[in-house]
Amino acid sequence: MVDGPARPAWSQQFAPAAIRDLTASGPIAGLTPEWAWGGSTGQGVRVAVVDSGIEHDHPALGNSVRGGVAVEYDEHAENDVRIDPDDPPSDVSGHGTACAGIIHAIAPDAELYSVRVLGTDMRGRAIQFAAGLDWAVDNEMHVANLSLSTSRQEYYGLFHQLADNAYFKNVVLISAVNNLPAPSYPSLYSSVISVAAHEGRDPLLYYYNPAPPVEFGAPGIDIQVAWKDKQYLVCTGNSFAAPHIAGIVALIRAKHPDLTPFQIKTVLWACAANTRRV
Amino acid sequence: MSSEDPSQGDGLARELQRLMRAIDAGGRAVLPRSNDALLQSIVEAAARIFGGAAASILFVNEEKRTLEFRVAYGAANRHLVGMSFPLDHGIAGYVAMTGQPIAISDVQRDARFNRDFAEATGYVPRSILATPLLSGEHVIGVMEVLDKIDGASFGMRDMELLGIFAGQAALAIEQSQQMDGIGEALVIGLRRLAASDPAAGTPELLAALEQESTSDAAEAGSSQARDILALADLFNDIGALGEAERQACLQILAAFATYARSRKRSW
Repeated sequence: MVDGPARPAWSQQFAPAAIRDLTASGPIAGLTPEWAWGGSTGQGVRVAVVDSGIEHDHPALGNSVRGGVAVEYDEHAENDVRIDPDDPPSDVSGHGTACAGIIHAIAPDAELYSVRVLGTDMRGRAIQFAAGLDWAVDNEMHVANLSLSTSRQEYYGLFHQLADNAYFKNVVLISAVNNLPAPSYPSLYSSVISVAAHEGRDPLLYYYNPAPPVEFGAPGIDIQVAWKDKQYLVCTGNSFAAPHIAGIVALIRAKHPDLTPFQIKTVLWACAANTRRV
Repeated sequence: MSSEDPSQGDGLARELQRLMRAIDAGGRAVLPRSNDALLQSIVEAAARIFGGAAASILFVNEEKRTLEFRVAYGAANRHLVGMSFPLDHGIAGYVAMTGQPIAISDVQRDARFNRDFAEATGYVPRSILATPLLSGEHVIGVMEVLDKIDGASFGMRDMELLGIFAGQAALAIEQSQQMDGIGEALVIGLRRLAASDPAAGTPELLAALEQESTSDAAEAGSSQARDILALADLFNDIGALGEAERQACLQILAAFATYARSRKRSW
């Protein structure tokens, strides 16, 4: 029954036969992976993982988890959300720990912050997500990994505003695209770095897609990830591709702290595995 | 709907009666009488299409914050049905909380995954493909296919296809539930309308619909039935503020519909 490449709609651009060669010329051709992140460990860079939380003492994370908050839906609170400290940070599912583990493996000295927006109360998920994203910007994170999204059109404007705010405040948002062939926010906004999965294993190998909306392809198929209760699972999903790019961005930001989000996207484009530098 | 235009009111009444007859005559005949029979056929089809040794559908209980096995096919199916576990538990819980599918292989590497579930059923899958059953953006349940027979794990293509399959399943479930709730929802909506503005009511239709209605159970009925009620209430409230407000409300809805359609076209 199942023929053809084993990818979802948003990842088809990253099938080996579909990857298009790009050419960087002029000064941009001088941007190499070695220049961009060679020797960097992500030191001093704050990365928010907006997700199901992070299991702070998972062995895959070393001592990288520095703090966390839990965003709870609360009808009696202002804007319907309450932000509580989550100390030490915990994970309600394992998904956020998986993302954190991927980032830590690439940028071992980056400081991870758990922003837990997923919980068992399903009424206010989009609002919790928005508040968590807002927290990451207000608390001066350098990078925010968003391996979740909403497809609720009524929140299109709200998330667009949050994404613009992050962009102007120099916070790089890395967003996994929906695993289902449906639009998802904020991954579709141009200021955001959107990521789908390819089947490669090299954590630093990624591609650029010249036919967006999804712009980058990183490993996310059958990869081993950390999970809740100090375990490991082998998982597939665009969720696990985004933190690869988040880790690389953490490396770049540590080495080149003056770069802004649009400059970082240019660096990522120039250093993609399918970009030829002439 | 306006008392100043009786022909429009009659038109609405006729349209509602036509709609109710169509639902009664067509809708229920198309779908199996038993919701569970429909669900059972869906999980069997899912297991066969995706080459899984087992498959199941779990429903979300938002109040209890649990997931409950509604139907299952294949290994350990008899033990599963009726079992429930907290939403923040295991892979299905993750899928329900996020509305995103996930594929996992090599589950048995660590038996702590879903340990109590595994102990209760004696069955720990090696690979899992789980996808949400969505009613719009609302997660009403989770469909899982377990243990790919002819491969180590489910691929991304399986994930995409199961997503499409689950979309169809969710529609069928939703439609089946709506058949039970929509009549009651209309009755309640019309009753509220009639109570607030007797001139706008359609007493004969209301009486006819009351006979078809069994109770006010739609208060806890399907999500679309609740939406219809909420819309009727909102429109009623806004209409009570005056003609300008009612027109503004219509224009906002029309503008959003135009915006939503244009967005769909671009995808």
